[in-house]
Order: sequence, then C-alpha cells, then structure tokens
Amino acid sequence: MKRKVLSSILCAAMLGSLLAGCGSSSDVATDSSASADTAGSEEAAETESTEEEIPNSTFGDPNGTHLEMWTFVELHGQHYGNMVEKWNEENPDRTIEITCTTYPYSDMHTKLLTSLNAGTGAPDICDVEVGQFPNVVAGEDLWLYPLNDAAAPYLDTMVTSRMETYMGADGNYYGAPYHVGATVMYYNMAVLEEAGITQDDVDAVVTWDDYAALGERYLEAIGNEDGKYWTSVDTAGTDWLWIAMAQYGEDWTGGFDDPANVQLESVSNMLTMQQEWLESGLAEVSPDGHVDLEAGFQNILDHNIVSFPKALWYMSRFTNYMPEESGNWYIAKCPVFEEGQPCSVGIGGTGTVVTQQSVDVELAAEFLCWAKMSEEGEQLIWDNLGFDVCNTALWDDDEFAHDDSNKYNAYFRNYPYDVLNEIKDEIGKISVVAISPTINEYVCNTTLNEVLEDGMDVAEALQELQDAVDLEQ
Amino acid sequence: MKIKKFLYSQKVAPYVFVLPFILSFAIFWIYPLCSSIVMSFQNIEPKGTSWVGLDNYAKLLKDTVFHTAILNSAEYMLLTLVLLIPFPMLFAVLMDSRLVKAKGVWKALMYLPALTSVVISGTLFRLMFSEYSTGQMNVITQALGLGTFKWLKMKGTAMGALLLVACWRWTGVNMLYFLSGLKSIDESLYEAAEIDGASGIQKFRYITIPLLKPTTVYVVTISVYAGLSMFLESYMLWAGNNSPNNIGLTIVGYLYKRGIEKNQMGYACAVGVVLLVIALIINMVQLVLNGTFKKEEK
Amino acid sequence: MAKDSKVTTTKTKVASVFATGFFAILCALIIFPVFAGLLASFRPGTELIRRGLAINLDFSTMTLDNYKYLFGNNADGKKYFMWYKNSLLITILTVVLTLIICYFVAYGLAMYEYKLKNLLFFLVIATMMVPFEILMLPLYQEVISLNLVDTYAGVMLPGLCGASTIFFFRQYMMGLPKELLDAARIDGATEYGISVKIMLPITKPAFAAMGILCAMGTWNAILWPLLVLRGAEKFTLPIGLNTLLTPYGNNYDVLIAGSIFGIVPIFVIFLIFQRYIIDGMTVGAVKG
Repeated sequence: MKRKVLSSILCAAMLGSLLAGCGSSSDVATDSSASADTAGSEEAAETESTEEEIPNSTFGDPNGTHLEMWTFVELHGQHYGNMVEKWNEENPDRTIEITCTTYPYSDMHTKLLTSLNAGTGAPDICDVEVGQFPNVVAGEDLWLYPLNDAAAPYLDTMVTSRMETYMGADGNYYGAPYHVGATVMYYNMAVLEEAGITQDDVDAVVTWDDYAALGERYLEAIGNEDGKYWTSVDTAGTDWLWIAMAQYGEDWTGGFDDPANVQLESVSNMLTMQQEWLESGLAEVSPDGHVDLEAGFQNILDHNIVSFPKALWYMSRFTNYMPEESGNWYIAKCPVFEEGQPCSVGIGGTGTVVTQQSVDVELAAEFLCWAKMSEEGEQLIWDNLGFDVCNTALWDDDEFAHDDSNKYNAYFRNYPYDVLNEIKDEIGKISVVAISPTINEYVCNTTLNEVLEDGMDVAEALQELQDAVDLEQ
Repeated sequence: MKIKKFLYSQKVAPYVFVLPFILSFAIFWIYPLCSSIVMSFQNIEPKGTSWVGLDNYAKLLKDTVFHTAILNSAEYMLLTLVLLIPFPMLFAVLMDSRLVKAKGVWKALMYLPALTSVVISGTLFRLMFSEYSTGQMNVITQALGLGTFKWLKMKGTAMGALLLVACWRWTGVNMLYFLSGLKSIDESLYEAAEIDGASGIQKFRYITIPLLKPTTVYVVTISVYAGLSMFLESYMLWAGNNSPNNIGLTIVGYLYKRGIEKNQMGYACAVGVVLLVIALIINMVQLVLNGTFKKEEK
Repeated sequence: MAKDSKVTTTKTKVASVFATGFFAILCALIIFPVFAGLLASFRPGTELIRRGLAINLDFSTMTLDNYKYLFGNNADGKKYFMWYKNSLLITILTVVLTLIICYFVAYGLAMYEYKLKNLLFFLVIATMMVPFEILMLPLYQEVISLNLVDTYAGVMLPGLCGASTIFFFRQYMMGLPKELLDAARIDGATEYGISVKIMLPITKPAFAAMGILCAMGTWNAILWPLLVLRGAEKFTLPIGLNTLLTPYGNNYDVLIAGSIFGIVPIFVIFLIFQRYIIDGMTVGAVKG
C-alpha cells in the first residue's frame, strides 16, 4: 500500500514538472519527443522567445543584424546591451540585435576553443581573458577578425601598450581592451595616520628602498606587533614580477620574436628584495598566495597588511567586499628600483574579439570598437564596470574623472584618474604569447613557492624555471 | 508470425536486450573515440593539423609534470580504495542490522554531501582549509595549541584535504551501493547459519562477503577510475588548476591544462589515452582475477 | 533459560545504543560543512569575506536577504528558477530513460550465454574508462552534424546508455538466483515477459540506488550541457550558478543560497527512491 502511494507521488511529480517544462517553452517538448524516438529527427527547435518574462539577454532591433556575444561576466553583457541601443539610434540603416550569454569563466573558454577548433558554433563577438588570449589568437586570421580598421578612429588616444597586449604575431590587433589595469600602490591611510605617517610621507616614496624604509617606520611605530606587516608578497601571482620587468624594460616572454628568458635582472632583484623583506619581518607571504582571494581580503580587513601593489581594477574588490573600509585607502604611484624608471604595468584584463565565423565581421568589429573605445562607451565602462578606461582622452575630463557620485571616487581618498594621469606615460606592458601560460604556471606553482616559502637561492630557482620553460620552446 | 517467433527465441533475445548499447556505442562512441586516438598522434594547431607520429607519447615520457600528475592520481586512487571500500561496507552491514535505530535519518544525512554540487562543496572546503586563522581547520588546531598550518601548501596535508573531501562525498554513496547489494542476499541463508550456530563475524565472513562480491567488484572498478580521473575536487580546493609545487595536480587536471589552457588538443589526447590504458589495465586485471568474465558465478 | 535471553536483550540494547550513537556522530561530522554552508547562506557575502565560515549562531549577522533576493521578482531570481526548472526536466527525463534502457541492456549481459557477451561487456567497461575531456571535441562536432546542438536531446542522448549503470545492474543480477527464469520458461513465459515480470520486481533496490546516483550526476553535470546548449534560457542550474564565480569577483550572496536551495529537489528524489532499498529480496519473492 505504502509503495503504491509513493510510486504515484513519484509519477505525479514527474508529470507535474514535465508539464511545467513544456508549458514554459514549446521547443522543449519537441526536443524531448525527438529524444524519445529517433536521434536523427531534425525538429527545428528554434529558440522562440516565450511570453513569460524571462530576464532578457537580447537587446536592440529585432529586424537588425543578429549578433551573438559570449562573456563570463554578466555586467559585460549588459554593457553591450546598453551600447547597442545607442548604436541603433545613431545608425538607423545598420541596426543590430545582440544576444549576450553569460557562461561560467573557464567553461566559456573551453566552449569557445572547442567551437573554433570545430569550425562552427562560435559566437560573433566574445570576451577572452588575457591569459587565454594566446590560444585564441594563435589562429591569426583563420579564427579571428583583425580590428585594425575598426579601431583606427580611436587609436590616437588609446593606451598603446594595452592595444598591443591583444596583438597577434602578424602585428594586427585582435582584441579590444576593457581597461588599462595599471598597477598602483594601495595604502591604508587611516591605519598609517594612527602610526604617525602622513599622506606626504607616502607621496615622498620614490624607490623601493624608500618604500621599505617607510615600512620599517610604520612597524616600529606600532611596536612591531605580532602578525602585522607592511605588505604581503605573492606565491601564486606574478604581479610583483611584472612590475619589476616593466620598470627595467624587460620581458621574460621575449615577445613574438625572441625565445623566453626568465633569468632577468628585474626578476632576480625583485625576488631577492622580497626574500630580504620576509627575513626582516617587513612582509609576509600572502595567505592563499595572493591578495585577490578570500583570505587575502580578510588579511587586508584585519589590517595585517597596510599596503600592496595591485592593478586599478582591484578597486572593485574594495567596494564589493570591503565596504567598511570606505574612506581609508589611498592610491599612489608604485615605487621603482632606480629613480627615473617607469613605474607601472598593465595587468590582467579581457580582450573582446570578433570571430571569423561571424555573420558580418565588419559590422561586428565596428560595433565592438565603438562600444569599447569611443567616449560614450568608455563613460559607461567606468560608471558600471569601474575600470580604468583605455581612452586617455577622457582622463583629463573633469566631469568624467572627478564625478563624486561615482562609487570609486567616493571610496578612495584621492581620485583614481589623478594617479592615472600622473603615470600616463609610464605604463609598460609584458607580452602575452604562446609561452606565457607555461611561464606563469611554473612561476606560480613552483618558483615563487621555492623562493618565498622555502628560501631557495634566487639564481638557482630561476635556472630551474628556465630549464622548465626551455622544454616547451 | 515467423518474425515474432524469431525475435522471441532465446538466441535472439539477448541481442535485442543489448541493442540500445550497441546503437549508442555505434553512434556516440566509435567516432569520437577513434578520432581522439588519431588526434593523439597529431599536432593540432589553429593553423592546421599535422601528423607527428609518436612524438606526443615520447614527450610524455620526458614530461616530469605529467609524472607528478600520475603519481598524485595513483596515490589518491590507492588511498581512496583503502578508505572508501571497507568502511562503507562495514557501515552498510551495520546499518542493515537490527541494531541501528532511526536508519532513515542517518542514511539521508550521509547521502547529503554527494547531493551538494562540487562548486559549493569545493568552496566550503577551501574556506575550511584556508591557511588564514579563520579557517575551521586552523580554528581547531589553534584551540589545541598547535598554531596555524598552511594546509593546502604542503604535500601531506593537501592530500589529506583531498581525501577528506573524497570520504565526505563518497562514503554515503558507496554505502548505498553496498546496502542495495545486501538486499540481493537471500535472508534464509542467514537464518540457516543461525540455526547452525554461526556467530555474527562468521556470518559476515562466510555469507556477506562472498555474496556481496558482485557489488564489491563494481565499487572497486568505479573507484579505480574515479580515483585516477579525479579533477574537480582539486580544481575547487585550489580555486583553479594550479597548486603549489603541483601537489594537487592530477592526470585529468594535466589533460585540461594542455588541452584547454594551452590549446594542445593532440598532446591532451595522448594524456587521455594513457589514462584510458592505465585504468583499463588495472580494471581488466582486477575483473579477470575476480572472475567477472567467467561463465557462471557461484 | 529465561535468564539467558534477558542477558542477550540487554547486550543487544547496549549494542544498539552504540551502533546508533556511532552513526549519529558520523553524521554530525558529515553534515558539518553543509551546516556551515547553510549558515553562510543566511549571511551577506561581505560577512563571509570578513570572518570566513564562522560556525556560530550569531543571529545578528543573519538575514533572509539572500533567499528573498533568490525568490524575489528580479532578474536573478527569475533566471534562477528558469534554470531550476530546466535542470529538473532534464534530470527526470534522463533518470527515467537511463534506468529503463540500462536495466534491459544489463539483463541481456547478465542472463544469457552467447558469443559476443564478453566482448560487449568489455566495451561497457572500456567506455567507463575514457576521460570525457578527450571525447569532447569530436562528440561536439558529431552533435552539430546530427543537428542536436542547443537541444535537450543533444544533452541527454549520448549519456542515456550509461556504462556504470549497466555495470551495476549487471553485477546486481549476477548475484540473483537464476532458477526463477527456468521455472518461468517452463510455465511458458516469453523472454521479455520474464525480464519485466520476474526479474524487475526483485531488482528494485538496484533501481533505487541507480536512480539516486543518476539523478545526482545529471543534476550536477556541467561541461557537456554547457557545450551543447547555446542560450541562457536553456541553461541548467549548475551552469547558471557557475557564472557567479568569475575572476572579476564572486557573487557569494546568490551562489551559496542558490546552491543550498539546489539540494532540495535531488534530496526529494533521494527520499522517494531510498524506500525501495529497504524492501529488498525476501524469501517469498524469490520462491515466486
């Protein structure tokens, strides 16, 4: 008896959800019936938009050219949604309808590579994280459409090093950047002031030696308290090393022409300096390996570290995860090894590409560049995404850069764009090429752990790294 | 009428029964499997595909990172076999006995972890094993006066964390297999043994273990493969495919690294074929030794 | 005599307390992380960052906001339940079809002696050992050429003949006595009739175990559905939830609450199925 009741409940539950499924979208029904009889039955399961108010991911003019766009950050998709409406107003004869689909991060790249390899199924426009870029761009004009022509109107004022990040071996631009990702130094001014350190003291820091000296002063002022440090060094991130390379004008990837060489003065100096800091108690190893994970945020919130270098996009971590720190933090130039060196480097980022599988490559490229590089586009990127935009024409614009209603401007003690303007000509670049994933992987998995956790000799660790890299090139 | 008789004959019936598998194999397996094996002899680049013969396999022999991955996976597999077969079996027997009260509650709770998606359970365990002082493991060790540990940076504790996740997720599921297997044992055998004055341990040794063998063989077989192909747990614990000194790298993690992160599908397929061969050899040896292919099992 | 049985009952009682206590402790350990997740789902994401997985019942930091948001009339909430429904549909269809198909295939592998039997069984085992990642690309190409891309049929079909399910059924049936079949044949039952009327009822525990497992696997599957499906309106729950983890920051608020609530349907399926494990083979059933 009991069994019968249960099985009828089960059947009812199944039926119920089946009906619910069919009711909401008619195409589902055809799919399932197709699966029931033959695999080959080609029921045209067109995605018909249903009456139900499902949140819309399709924007623009239904009669225009339909473009498919993939991203792994929902806000990015919304950006194109906003931009496509403006585009259609300005270009009534070439209207666009765009569908933006948000996929999980790593799976989106898997899916993109699979469909590029398969030669079918790729979207018109797609976000590609910079670390994944070499894989996608390796196809050159077989897979991606060059953006040179479409980007031409904006190139004068775009940060050149950023455009070059998404360049192919053939010298064409294949990706449109969202941000510069310029590295700066973040200081917890509120805590420093309690220790008697003023903003002027921080501004006076020029070299890493100055930086370390100020740190010593801070630690002394708080009585060398246990568990408190000036900064934390990363075992699972290459940011510090990128900064060093940019300052010396070096590049371990060797770019497109030279073989990778990791035994560089810059890398060696940075690692040696960090070992000294760890020994003297000035720095600790970042919990979880870098500051952009849960433990890293906690470490900052607990004031265990009071300064660290990071790209400007880290601002959104402050506003999202550390709202209670509002008004405490100050952004300054990053110190250098020797006076006169450029201080910053563009880190991270996402390049948006147009694939050759697009229904209209020219239109897609033109729309993409306009949405990401024009002043209208950049305004929205700053307001909604909080990125340091690549179009320098806006950086001096008072209304743009000093808008106090902007949450980033409100959060920090100074205006981020003031710092950006100061370092405008000092933003370097490290190439992202085919060998890059290999270097990054070995550095983050092995080298940094050996040097910073186990205290291995820097030269020895770099030799080991070089050997590992040489195996792959 | 003739056709019906033909279809209903004892000779033809088995083929009718296995037809769905043959169809599915023909449609969804033969082509992908063959083309993966072919790809493992190729260098697949966006610019074109070239035949490289055994180069990929030759490179695997020299690839020390791959060797690390194999060792990690093998160690994990062996340890999961040790932990996830005897204990769930004992738990199942105990659970099946009349001694335990409120069985439904315990079974439901033990099965809960497997229902939780890996995304969330990985995140939870990552936070619990955080090297920061608020991680639960560190809260415990601090309470014991041992200070904090960098759990996910050391080989031993990292493997411990992976095993803990594995035990947490799969103990309940394996117990479920055994519980269901226990139900295929005829109760009258136990009754007969009781009349003969057999003790509980004797009943377990001489009735339960032999008659549970088909289930045990099944659990061993899937555990061998699941152990060797573990990837997601590691990916979630280290918030990605990179771990200090590759202590969390597994064969499938390496396959993923090559195939997706570096877009070397040919090389990745070679890694996959090696995994297939290893898993198949271990399991075929194990299955043949267990007599699973023999005509009649008694 | 009477004294003797009294001793055994006290002994049994003590053993019973120990056995039950053992499972209670084991379960307490096992649900600890789930409990931690449950607590976290009632806290804002910033609290998780601030204090980690704090296991305390500090109600001042707990709110219903995450769930209100999830069930609320907003874009995220609507999407969440759209994915929920998709997942439910796929899971139920897959479980039902897989169980039926795999049962009969396993019956064919377990109950007869014929030439190709061992070869077929070998193929079943072999297909279990292939890492999906290397099949992904060619299988994707095949699904495109079969015109199944962006359909649930494309998601489900390649997996319906699940090798591990076949294998389990086969092993289960190997443990059952075969005398029943011959008796039924003498009574004039057909091969197909036997498989349904005689064998199926005594295989219920295996159905239950496989039903639960298959439901779990399908509910949590991500890579293949993601490759086949195109539009967000067809996504399944795991795909949707995974979009909340990005290198640009994780949306813990919705992620944890959404994942915890995502356990519910699969838990219900478990409760339904596990009943059938309890009534296993009784002597009566075997003797027909």
